[in-house]
Amino acid sequence: MATNLNKNNEVSFVPPFLKKIFEYIKSTPVWKSIFRVGYPDTMPKRMAVMRSSFYMHIFPTKVGVHGMKIKYGWCMGGITFFLFLLLTVTGILLMFYYVPEEHRAYNDMKDLRYVVPFGVILRNMHRWGAHGMVFTVILHMIRVFYTGSYKPPRQFNWTVGVLLLLITLLLSFTGYLLPWDQLGFWAVTVGTNMASATPLLGYEGPFSKYLGIQIDNDIRFALIGGTRIGPNALVRAYVWHCVGLPLIATALMIFHFWRIRKDGFSGPM
Amino acid sequence: MAETKTDAMISTQPGYDRMASWPYFIWVVLLCMFFITILIWTVSMFFNAPLEEAAEWAKTPNPAKAPWYFIGLQELLVYFDPWIAGVIIPNQILIGLILIPYVDTAPEVQGCYNYSRRKFQFVFFSFGIFLWFFLIITGQLLRGPSWEIYWPIIDYPLGGHEWTYPNQILKASQAKLHNLSLPVGITISVIGFIVGMTLPAIMFKKYFKELGIIKYSLVMTHVLLTLGVVGKILLRLVFGIKYVIVTPWFNI
Repeated sequence: MATNLNKNNEVSFVPPFLKKIFEYIKSTPVWKSIFRVGYPDTMPKRMAVMRSSFYMHIFPTKVGVHGMKIKYGWCMGGITFFLFLLLTVTGILLMFYYVPEEHRAYNDMKDLRYVVPFGVILRNMHRWGAHGMVFTVILHMIRVFYTGSYKPPRQFNWTVGVLLLLITLLLSFTGYLLPWDQLGFWAVTVGTNMASATPLLGYEGPFSKYLGIQIDNDIRFALIGGTRIGPNALVRAYVWHCVGLPLIATALMIFHFWRIRKDGFSGPM
Repeated sequence: MAETKTDAMISTQPGYDRMASWPYFIWVVLLCMFFITILIWTVSMFFNAPLEEAAEWAKTPNPAKAPWYFIGLQELLVYFDPWIAGVIIPNQILIGLILIPYVDTAPEVQGCYNYSRRKFQFVFFSFGIFLWFFLIITGQLLRGPSWEIYWPIIDYPLGGHEWTYPNQILKASQAKLHNLSLPVGITISVIGFIVGMTLPAIMFKKYFKELGIIKYSLVMTHVLLTLGVVGKILLRLVFGIKYVIVTPWFNI
């Protein structure tokens, strides 16, 4: 290690003493117990580094060259998943400051804006990230359609993808009510009023009166826990938003990614 | 061309050109994550998330709008009863989307942009997406108080202005509407359905034979339902027809 040429005969700008320190750190049992493959500079090592790590293993050891092009895949599925992770992190932090109670929720929003350190940027990131996720998941679907990537053997994964689109919309929609401001309150009122028009199951829907469906036992009542948006609706939206729907989304995503992992990027056959 | 590969692990098939994920693919993913984080962070620094006054049951805003991704359905409330606009149509969209891979299975046009070999699929899907976003843009930007059409951005006083030509009120909510009588409505609908189902089968015999009767029926039902939505919108806007079919139990 006396020379400053690395093994490809390129000039290295890392000072020799630093290199010695790196070499020492890399030779310690602790380092070796964490990074077990070593620097992945050969093909077997490159594959091993992916295979031997739980989190890296979500990616395949090798990817189709065809699908690597940005203009082919747009990265939209990946961005959607990353936004989901971003929203999980910011969402958990927001949960520290927010209580879904009729008289507290709105004040907590005000606190987030004016009192909590970085609260305003936390909430902004959660809000814009959520809109972004709805948008990217739609773009992802459009791209998959235009490239015909839902064709066999990926048909059922498209179905799971459609369900994930629906879950994404519902996640965003349930989150809309939580600030307990006029915007969310009336948007969710408009949205859930549609449920009361469900045929057979909604009290304003066709044929429901023959089943004894009324305002206090129809599908809208089940959704919002009352005859109008109130404290019960707030708790239900909160639980669906923070626990129920993310769990369902995760279960579906595990399936979705596993199938992509097994089938690879779609390519011309 | 290979036969349809229904088995898993396409990525291990010969002829599927591959490269190691490390380091290039991982770099793309990492850079993408950085880029998105920076983008969201930057946007969040410059634009505050909306927060209006505290929710109040007694103060109904005019208009009360759904979130932007559902506003297309709210826009459809102008033309349809809530059980169609809010329940039937979204479910039809979901079922239609789920059906796509099961009615369009031709394997030769997979994994690349291929407009020329699947024109119909491209046109129909693009039309659906266009309609969805057209309704969203109309509902989000062009609807003001009482769900009337307004220019975007301009802050109209509650109640809005009357846009009138001499003796002719242009406000949609005051337009004179009428219904088709039941026999006429049913006749038009049934004839439309029969012609819509049979005419393409006769005109595109090859396509019909390729699909088979079941797939063809599923595809054409959804095409006709989509065109039906557009047709109903036009009937309402051009001829002032509110309902095509009126029954004691429901109206369409």
